[in-house]
Amino acid sequence: MPANTPAEAAPGKPSGAGSPSNGSDPRGSDPRGSAPVVDGAKLVRERRLNNAKKNWALFRSDIPAMVGAVVLLFFIVIAVVAPLIAPESMLDVTKQLDVPRYAPPSLEHPLGTDDLGREMWVRILWGARVSILVGVAATVMSMVIGTIMGLAAGHFTGLFGGIIMRIVDFFIVLPSLLLAIVLSSVLERGVFTIVVAIGLTSWASTARIVRSQTLSVESRLYIERARILGAGHRHILFRHLLPSVMPLVLANTTLTVGGAIIAESTLSFLGLGDTSKESWGTILKNSMDVSAATSGYWWYVLTPGIAILLVVLAFTMVGRALEAIINPALRSR
Amino acid sequence: MTDLSFENVSITYRSSSDRGDVVAVKDVSLDLPAGATLGIAGESGSGKSTLIMSALRLLPKSARLDGRVLLGGKDLQDLNFGQIRAVRWAQASIVFQGALHSLNPVREVGGQIIEALTHHAKDTWTTPEKRRDRMFELLSEVDLDRSKAIAYPHELSGGQKQRIMIAMALACEPDIIIADEPTTALDVIVQKQILSGLAALVAERGISLLMISHDLAVLSAVCANLAIMRHGKLVEYGPSDEVCLRPQEEYTKQLAGAFPQIGDPESRLNPRTLKPAEVTRAQPYTMGDEVVLEAKDLSVSFDTRHGRERAVRGVDLALHKAEILAVVGQSGSGKTTLARSLLGLQEVEPDSQLSFAGKPLPKKAKALRTFRRQVQMILQDPSGSLNPKRSVYEAVVEGLRVQGIRDREYERVVGALEAAELTPAADYLESIPQELSGGQRQRVVIAGALALDPQVLIADEPVASLDASVRGEILSLFLALKKNLGMSALIITHDLGLAWNIADTVAVMKKGEIVEYGDVDTVLKDPQHAYTQELLAAVPRLGSQSLVRNE
Repeated sequence: MPANTPAEAAPGKPSGAGSPSNGSDPRGSDPRGSAPVVDGAKLVRERRLNNAKKNWALFRSDIPAMVGAVVLLFFIVIAVVAPLIAPESMLDVTKQLDVPRYAPPSLEHPLGTDDLGREMWVRILWGARVSILVGVAATVMSMVIGTIMGLAAGHFTGLFGGIIMRIVDFFIVLPSLLLAIVLSSVLERGVFTIVVAIGLTSWASTARIVRSQTLSVESRLYIERARILGAGHRHILFRHLLPSVMPLVLANTTLTVGGAIIAESTLSFLGLGDTSKESWGTILKNSMDVSAATSGYWWYVLTPGIAILLVVLAFTMVGRALEAIINPALRSR
Repeated sequence: MTDLSFENVSITYRSSSDRGDVVAVKDVSLDLPAGATLGIAGESGSGKSTLIMSALRLLPKSARLDGRVLLGGKDLQDLNFGQIRAVRWAQASIVFQGALHSLNPVREVGGQIIEALTHHAKDTWTTPEKRRDRMFELLSEVDLDRSKAIAYPHELSGGQKQRIMIAMALACEPDIIIADEPTTALDVIVQKQILSGLAALVAERGISLLMISHDLAVLSAVCANLAIMRHGKLVEYGPSDEVCLRPQEEYTKQLAGAFPQIGDPESRLNPRTLKPAEVTRAQPYTMGDEVVLEAKDLSVSFDTRHGRERAVRGVDLALHKAEILAVVGQSGSGKTTLARSLLGLQEVEPDSQLSFAGKPLPKKAKALRTFRRQVQMILQDPSGSLNPKRSVYEAVVEGLRVQGIRDREYERVVGALEAAELTPAADYLESIPQELSGGQRQRVVIAGALALDPQVLIADEPVASLDASVRGEILSLFLALKKNLGMSALIITHDLGLAWNIADTVAVMKKGEIVEYGDVDTVLKDPQHAYTQELLAAVPRLGSQSLVRNE
């Protein structure tokens, strides 16, 4: 994929010139066509820079998006600096012998402690590392595969398109949990395996959505116009189709991140994750193991649950704002 | 019977955007007594649609109405929701613009007509059988076969869909029919059928008709009285013949002049516009002898459900240097297919011969790309031909990038925009299509084609979706391009007036064949073929009320 797809395709409002909205074009006032030699490429670069600035300004003016971004940033920062705030030894069960087990949240234990006396906040901190990493990496993988397959299936007709669509169908009918279990038991245990397992099982639905959008864009007149101008497959795919499916892919991404974080929890819950690594799914599994919910240890269940909720919500809010920026027609709504 | 009257009606749209409140209609008073016919003419944005929507209280919540709209002596504002529902359809009904989008694509049209009956006239057509009979009655009234009742909208032609819409409007025997541009998307022959159908219904039933259109000739063919609106204000009002033939206001004259009268020497090669495109060349190009694009025995076939159908049959055409050739015909006559095959976008039958500048049309992808530098096409709908996300600069530069022309990109783009009379070009470079008017969009599309310095422009209905005044501007632009750059153009249209306005030669197409081909002056003044005569006769003339009086 070319690096310049969504941002480049998102035009801002016309700059200084104001919006020429009605047919009153003042004629012959200033023929600027004969201006000194202007480098077209430089002009486009400047415009992209301007666009990026404008898009950032738009993003900043969107309150939910900023809230989402702050929440995301918070979780990312705590995930990155976790070893500095809470050394790994704090997770070592053998060193928590004097800490009370199942201590409810208090000043001493801000988020309470678990069945082995570990601090919940430390576990959340360390769990964020794996959960966010897996969520984002698996989503990126699923989106990339899904977008490429969907575009190809929608754009190319005939045998090639048909073969691609059958491959997509194959992945749709595969029970994804089963495939993920098989993959993670065949491959080496580890975070990477979980990413591959989730990514490989979740791209098919994206491909379907991308294909249907591609088909509808494909019938627009501006694609026909591009053909008349002499454009080939590459131009149409990357200049017109990809930018027009990107908003959909982004909107889908925000949902998939949530799904991937939950899928990671599921796999960890089934004991297929990397047991040596802390993740929010693992915490939830532990809480189930000790029947925390029915025993009144609400903090054990709620803390990882709320953490997952916050991150998924933050991704959605940021994603919506990005969608509105990429698709200017959505802005006024 | 019911009278409809607007008393000092003003309608304002509240808007939170920078533009503030928008006054769509300003202090308009109009009367439509029972059994009368009234036409409202105006360009897009003149507030005519907003005004008629107020007649059924169909305005959106953001609209505020001052003044009074009286239906049968009752102020519509005073009715509660139940009463207004009873008024809608039973007393007054609307034929909406664009029948293609107003019908439910997944239901049979007969069922959709019955829907209006079940909702509104519970007392008269009480049983399903009675409603069914009424539906068949309605179909025969709009001259459609009973078998069409089980057809889905996509199985009907544009004219048939429009008739279904009229049948729906008639369903509950309303006293008033409001028609919003009922024939805009239709060709002249179907337009004539629809208009005479409406006129006959009005005459027989004593229904009053309120019709709006941007085409004065269409309105004057049916309506006894005409009102002209501009910027929300009533400009002129009077009997149809008075307004059309002896207009008092400058604006009315302009509207009346926008649609040429075929045979009128004043508008020959001279589209009426306030902003004609400049002819800058001292000795303008005229049609030469050199043949640029030629088709011999061109045939195109499609595979359809009913076997192979020939869309174009044995067409011979020759386009000379600096010639404007108009291909005229009804929808479905194969005009667009012809244009696409001239560009190499459409597979043709093996024995067809196509040649450009004396050489046969290339078949290989790379040679085709070079060929498309020389021959460019402008598609029917300017709004659809531009990617909504890309700026004007990107739209115009696209062809250059595709063709691998890298040098002097900026100058080429600005030059093309200025050749398309979008000046000053620099002000428009960053705009996205959404921010441009229909005429401006069409200029951007034309500029995109011009940027490649083509020798031939093929335009598919270039002005069909544009307002009357913009139409003149775009047509004069085509003339100027021919005179300044020596460009040849093939223009596809259903509008004979367009051919009269700008074309040198005209080809009349019927069912894939060219039935008459020759000089515009000869063909349009003295048509030989019966079909050309039929087409010419169907063009509505100003101020005649021809359709009503013929009945």
